[in-house]
Amino acid sequence: MRTYELMTIFRPEMAETDVRTEVDRVAGALTERGAEITKNDFWGKRRFAYEINHLTEGYYSVLEFQSEPAAIVDIDRALSLSDQVVRHKFIRPD
Amino acid sequence: MSPRSKNSPAAAKRKRRAPERGGRRPKKQTCEFCDRTKGHVDYKDVASLRKFMSDRAKIRSSRVTGNCPRCQRKVARAIKNAREMALLPYLGR
Repeated sequence: MRTYELMTIFRPEMAETDVRTEVDRVAGALTERGAEITKNDFWGKRRFAYEINHLTEGYYSVLEFQSEPAAIVDIDRALSLSDQVVRHKFIRPD
Repeated sequence: MSPRSKNSPAAAKRKRRAPERGGRRPKKQTCEFCDRTKGHVDYKDVASLRKFMSDRAKIRSSRVTGNCPRCQRKVARAIKNAREMALLPYLGR
């Protein structure tokens, strides 16, 4: 088991409730693959430090969880393909 | 305890430094992250990472910041992670 942190940026034109359900979906998909969510931190809308795809802001969410490395592979792909996600990143805190 | 006693921290520091022959006195080197957070650097903590960047958003060298090599690597890594998530700029101004 390893500790991971998943930061996801969602598109700003979504409604906040939709973003939250989307975050819960990701969290559900993680637990389904044997991950244990330790923290679910929703930051809300935040301005970017620079423009991404002509967007200047987005919803930030941070999920902290313990899981096997294999569990994040599908999620990583799903998030890359998702239209609602501007950017996402898995980080292993030291 | 007198401030000049042998085992005071100030006395130890003076002893370590080489005798100065004029010239520039080196600034006291302190690694902020080492003592404050016990070596953990968080890429989400934008405010404290900004202190290690120039106002053009370049990463300051450890020569300037006084970071120990280990913390400097962590700070640099954290800034780069934060840049990828648009928490910090790649270039300022």
